[in-house]
Amino acid sequence: MTTKTMTEVKTNKLTLVQAVTDGMRTMMKEHDDILVLGEDVGQNGGVFRATEGLVHEFGEDRVIDTPLAEAGIVGTSIGLAINGFRPIAEMQFLGFVYPAYEQIMTHASRIRSRTMSKFSVPMVIRAPYGGGIRAPEIHSDSVEALFTHMPGIKVVVPSNPYDAKGLLIAAIEDPDPVLFMEPMRSYRAFKADVPESKYTVEIGKAATLTEGEDVTVIAWGNMVSVAQKAVEQMSGDGVSCELLDLRTLYPLDRETIVESVKKTGRVVIIHEAPETGGAGNDVMALINDEAFLYLRAPMTKVAGFDAPFPFFALEEEYLPTPARVKHAIKEAVTF
Amino acid sequence: MVEVKLHDVGEGMTEGEITQYLVNVGDHVKIDQPLVEVQTDKVSAELPSPVAGTVKEILAEVGEVVTVGTTVIVLEKEGAAVTPHESKASQEKEEPVSFTIKINKGRAERQSERVLATPYTRRIALENKVDIEQVSGTGPAGRVTDEDVFRFMKEGPSKTVEETSHEEAQQTTEPVSEKKEEAAPVRAGKTIPYRGRRKQIGKKMTHSLMTIPHVTHFDEVDVTNVMKLREELKAEGIKPVSVASFFIKALVFALKEYPVFNAVLDEEKEEIVLKEEYNIGLAADTDEGLIVPVVQGADRLSITGINDEMKRVMKLAKENKLSKKDLSGGTFTVSNVGPLGSTGATPIINHPEVALVAFHKTKKMPVVIDDEIVIRQMMNMSMSFDHRVADGATAVAFTSRFAEFIENPTKMMLEMM
Repeated sequence: MTTKTMTEVKTNKLTLVQAVTDGMRTMMKEHDDILVLGEDVGQNGGVFRATEGLVHEFGEDRVIDTPLAEAGIVGTSIGLAINGFRPIAEMQFLGFVYPAYEQIMTHASRIRSRTMSKFSVPMVIRAPYGGGIRAPEIHSDSVEALFTHMPGIKVVVPSNPYDAKGLLIAAIEDPDPVLFMEPMRSYRAFKADVPESKYTVEIGKAATLTEGEDVTVIAWGNMVSVAQKAVEQMSGDGVSCELLDLRTLYPLDRETIVESVKKTGRVVIIHEAPETGGAGNDVMALINDEAFLYLRAPMTKVAGFDAPFPFFALEEEYLPTPARVKHAIKEAVTF
Repeated sequence: MVEVKLHDVGEGMTEGEITQYLVNVGDHVKIDQPLVEVQTDKVSAELPSPVAGTVKEILAEVGEVVTVGTTVIVLEKEGAAVTPHESKASQEKEEPVSFTIKINKGRAERQSERVLATPYTRRIALENKVDIEQVSGTGPAGRVTDEDVFRFMKEGPSKTVEETSHEEAQQTTEPVSEKKEEAAPVRAGKTIPYRGRRKQIGKKMTHSLMTIPHVTHFDEVDVTNVMKLREELKAEGIKPVSVASFFIKALVFALKEYPVFNAVLDEEKEEIVLKEEYNIGLAADTDEGLIVPVVQGADRLSITGINDEMKRVMKLAKENKLSKKDLSGGTFTVSNVGPLGSTGATPIINHPEVALVAFHKTKKMPVVIDDEIVIRQMMNMSMSFDHRVADGATAVAFTSRFAEFIENPTKMMLEMM
């Protein structure tokens, strides 16, 4: 883990969702222009309790319960952002973002270019995403690729509590819209040391979680823990894997990816989104452009299937598993 | 003028080697008179004259490999002075291929030898100025590995013995990422061109072995009774027949019982196609290399008929005069290496067939029959089969059935009824 905790810094053991709350609280304390908008984010504390306590601390003027209308939440946030606020819009699930997609696509992402930088949209859209928590199908969608295709909006996905707080603060500080995807399955899966004070994790920088020589394994969000298990097991078999947590899907950290591939010559990309049109394809294209002559084997992907996310009885079949990842790694190293 | 071009004499050939001219410049030729002999991958063909006339020009040299469409000979048509217009028309009529560009040998060679290699290996070759197309691969599916490139840099081409790039490659600098080691110099002797029939055999064998999971099983057959029967027939003044003709007849009967070996696997359609014809290919050793003429419809021929047909195709094979028909339609192949002295082999299947048997040397051996040691004429046989299509048990049953016919030739008679 790159979770760098300096000894002097006071830290708390937090889950990922608690780190998200902590990130918002830290920033809201410092800046009055930060607002939170969403369904049940006030008294109820949000569907996953990510905004728990914020309404008591900052009042209903800054933590605003909205009607069930995602286009309205995002549209209002865009208006607020243009007028000097820094809104944080919560989608209950990323799969509920579709009504708001038009607002994001047509306005949030392009107001800066449309106004020749006279206006920007400094807002964050927070959205829990991904399968594995036995929620119905649309709740489990992992549609990051819809947003990485859209210039003007950054796409950030933390995989652990430290990165969650650091990246969220960086997203709030960013002058442009950021889609902040929160991996639901990792919300309460484990705790980690998170500094109490304000800090940032740079957007656009991948983390090298383990260093290795034989193959570069690339994952983000929920899939990082799946990859970690596979990588650990492979190291027992004598295969040295370099595990990259991308953390930002747009813009990609070209340098870290390319340097790692130049070192290992082999690539396995893991994402839980359907394979066709997935964000992994862009990683492949980048490697093809910048590290082609270093490849020792075809790049491989372990992904979800080209089907709607299944009901929970089948979700474990749908999601990539350490076994599938191991198989792909073996294929790559024995090609 | 009429241009005689190399045309496709069958099976989509792309090039052929000029082996000899049957006419000289100035000769008068009749229509359909053979002008030139061309060796293709499989057969030697003669190009006949499309018109009666006089040989004006011979454009390709003996030994030259020319592509289909290349003009080889220019003829002046007999009779009244030919108008250019007429000439053009007749030209088009004779040969639809309109381009007459002479083959650029180096380029053709490169295209046909496109090698497999990962980008990483290609980078090593690139950085060391090695033409990767010249490196023979030892990796999976013949892929060129990093080691192959390093070896090439150290030793030069070992299998590709032709062309000038050879010397260039040997002059390259030392491997970028490998320590310098003094290699013992090996003097190169005569080079043998790897093309034509030899190259075709190489391609076919590689393809078969790479695509078919081969299993070979061995068996021994007591051929004493067949030998005896043959002698008896001879003593009665009947025209002698070879033992191999008995083998082929017995194989056909066994194939009828185990048709899965007289088949092809259609992977695309996911079907094993059982053939209704029994066309037995005979692996023949010729000066040019291995070629497989086919005894067509072996099931419809008597043993004497098989004998005659075998003799005919083998003779044509030796003379390099096999027709396309003699070489096509095989459903099962036999390699009779016994006369050459072999006692065992793991033969490569004649793709896309499913199996192949090799018959080995027959020799007198002490054998236990009814608790007594007797001297019998024993022969080893090897059978390679496609393990995707059949399993070992079926293959063993097949050869056992074959052995039964050979060991007791009268049983074959029952099958003939």
